[in-house]
Amino acid sequence: MENFTNETINTRQLPIFEEVTFTNLHPKYIWVVLINLALFIGILILVPILVSMFKPELLSGRVWLIIGAVIPIFSVLLVAFSIIGFKKKGFAFREHDVLFRYGIIATNTIVIPYNRVQHVALHEGFISRYFSLAKIEIFTAGGSSSDIEIPGIDKEQAEKIKQLLMRKIQKQL
Amino acid sequence: MRADFSQPQRQSSIGILVMFFYTLQQYARALWPMIVIWIFKFDEVNKLYFFLGMLTVFVSIGVVSYLKYLNFTFFLDSENEEFIITDGVFNKTKTAIQLRKIQQVNINQSFIQKLIGVYELDVDTAGSNKKEGAIKAISHELALELKSRLLENEELQRVVGTSETTLEETEQKLFEVAHPFIKISVLSLLKVGITSNYGKSIALLLIFFSTIFENLQNFGDESNVYKDKVGSYIDKNFVFQTILISILFLFGVVLVVNVVRIIFKYYDYKITRQKGSLLLSFGLLNTKSTIIKPEKVQITTVTRNYFQRKMGILELKIRQATSGEKEEQKSIIEIPGCSATERDSILKLLFHKIPEKGLMLQPNFRKLIFSVFLSIGLPLFGFIAVGYWLEPLIFEYIYLVPAYVVVIGLIQYFRFKNSRLFIHENFIIKQSGAWDISNDIIEPNKIQAITTSQLFWHKKLNIGSIILHTAGGNIAFQLGDYSVIKQKINLWLYEIETSDSNWM
Repeated sequence: MENFTNETINTRQLPIFEEVTFTNLHPKYIWVVLINLALFIGILILVPILVSMFKPELLSGRVWLIIGAVIPIFSVLLVAFSIIGFKKKGFAFREHDVLFRYGIIATNTIVIPYNRVQHVALHEGFISRYFSLAKIEIFTAGGSSSDIEIPGIDKEQAEKIKQLLMRKIQKQL
Repeated sequence: MRADFSQPQRQSSIGILVMFFYTLQQYARALWPMIVIWIFKFDEVNKLYFFLGMLTVFVSIGVVSYLKYLNFTFFLDSENEEFIITDGVFNKTKTAIQLRKIQQVNINQSFIQKLIGVYELDVDTAGSNKKEGAIKAISHELALELKSRLLENEELQRVVGTSETTLEETEQKLFEVAHPFIKISVLSLLKVGITSNYGKSIALLLIFFSTIFENLQNFGDESNVYKDKVGSYIDKNFVFQTILISILFLFGVVLVVNVVRIIFKYYDYKITRQKGSLLLSFGLLNTKSTIIKPEKVQITTVTRNYFQRKMGILELKIRQATSGEKEEQKSIIEIPGCSATERDSILKLLFHKIPEKGLMLQPNFRKLIFSVFLSIGLPLFGFIAVGYWLEPLIFEYIYLVPAYVVVIGLIQYFRFKNSRLFIHENFIIKQSGAWDISNDIIEPNKIQAITTSQLFWHKKLNIGSIILHTAGGNIAFQLGDYSVIKQKINLWLYEIETSDSNWM
């Protein structure tokens, strides 16, 4: 009790989360995003083509016209938004918490203090592995909306980050 | 004398009856539309086959429940410190629960169990979502004995940690158990029934009527005749009157159903204090009991509407930390019909002081515009688009549009007006709702993570949104003063990161 103090905190001198410089995702990760998109769009185009080859009478000519117009527009928008989304994503590890920024129209920033982290996982996707990239998943007790997934980190670096987080968590215990 | 739990033992033999009724209930619940049709078509069915069929069903359920009873055993393995339950008729399961993992042991009594005079014992562990061990039929003394043995481990740890309990403390405890500090009277429950849950009751009624309607339609010829008759009966002049009367009738039914439902659910609501936790028990037919541990409470919600304020009652909802999201709905504990002083004493027990409202934040008027656009603009556009291009017939219902706009507009306006975020040193309170105005109270140290969100065209206006994630759900506030929000986030992060505060 003797060492107990309760001084007023000067709120102006607190570390400011919004002025943190964020690290962008690994440049190679854009290829992972684009390959995934190419696969998705490929299927999107392939299905109507197959239908039109074997059962063209299934849909009327007007519907085919609409499909033909919508798919390219949709694909271009998807690619554009994915590229912007990739550029907007960023992460930062501070001394006491981890920050992740994402979002295209809205800028979202999520902060998780290390002493609220439940566990950390490393995830390697099929295509990511080819580029030796990994995804770090940070879980809290707050449900799926409060978890952070940072994709596109160099695998070695990701492993180091995971070790760092594990040390930070264990120190709390 | 202490009961011996070291040998595998069965439930009380009368438990066969409980098993029988539970299995019967399961089948009945699954097959009730068929049963209803059976009853209506009773004359057409061959009576002999019908009764033979019924007999086989009852006998087979009886045999199954007897086998279930025979194969269900439980015992305490004191060597490995485990509680072991074996059950199953064809597929046998053996559940071993480590004693130190047991969080809670509840003794409940459903209506059937009350009739037969046995109790149910549930074992809750930290690890999983569902209740792992449940003994369906056990006598009260045995249940109490088993409960104390199951929780012995925890008690031991506690005794080691603290000093030995003195005589006075035990007396105090006994007094606390015997004298519930809050009792909710039938009158308060009546008030709650009249003033709450309109939406829920109407939804329930709709589901009920639609199932009946569907089943009626399955009758075939007879109902067609019925429909023709009704069709000729209703003159167009009477349509309006009929609608008005049926709406009034529906409202009456809703009120009665609501009152009955609330009384059945919450009859004899008692709250007792026990070692700093709150012990709740309630229910007319099914008596439920739960424990609230203050350190596990994440979000406390105080809800009140205009009528309830006039009558001096309010509703409390308490969300505890959950292990899984599916469980979230179930772990909300409701305390209906408290008075303001009772609310204060419960809040004092949970937070050690009465929450205060501090700095007030209100949303920007753009929030109102946006929600009006979403809830009125888009549906109206959809309505006009469908009517213009696809199905002009729906324009016959155009007289509903002004009513919709006025009702939804009013709801959105009041929702906007009531939306507030209060930030105090020790509490964060979010106020929301159009008719039922609720205040979500959390303590900053319960925050698990914080999300901020800002649309790029709101940067200059300096407004933005915040979501506070806790282990019991999220608290979101839209379009508040962004610089204040950011400053408060920095403060909360500082507080969370510098202290080893316990959030659970």
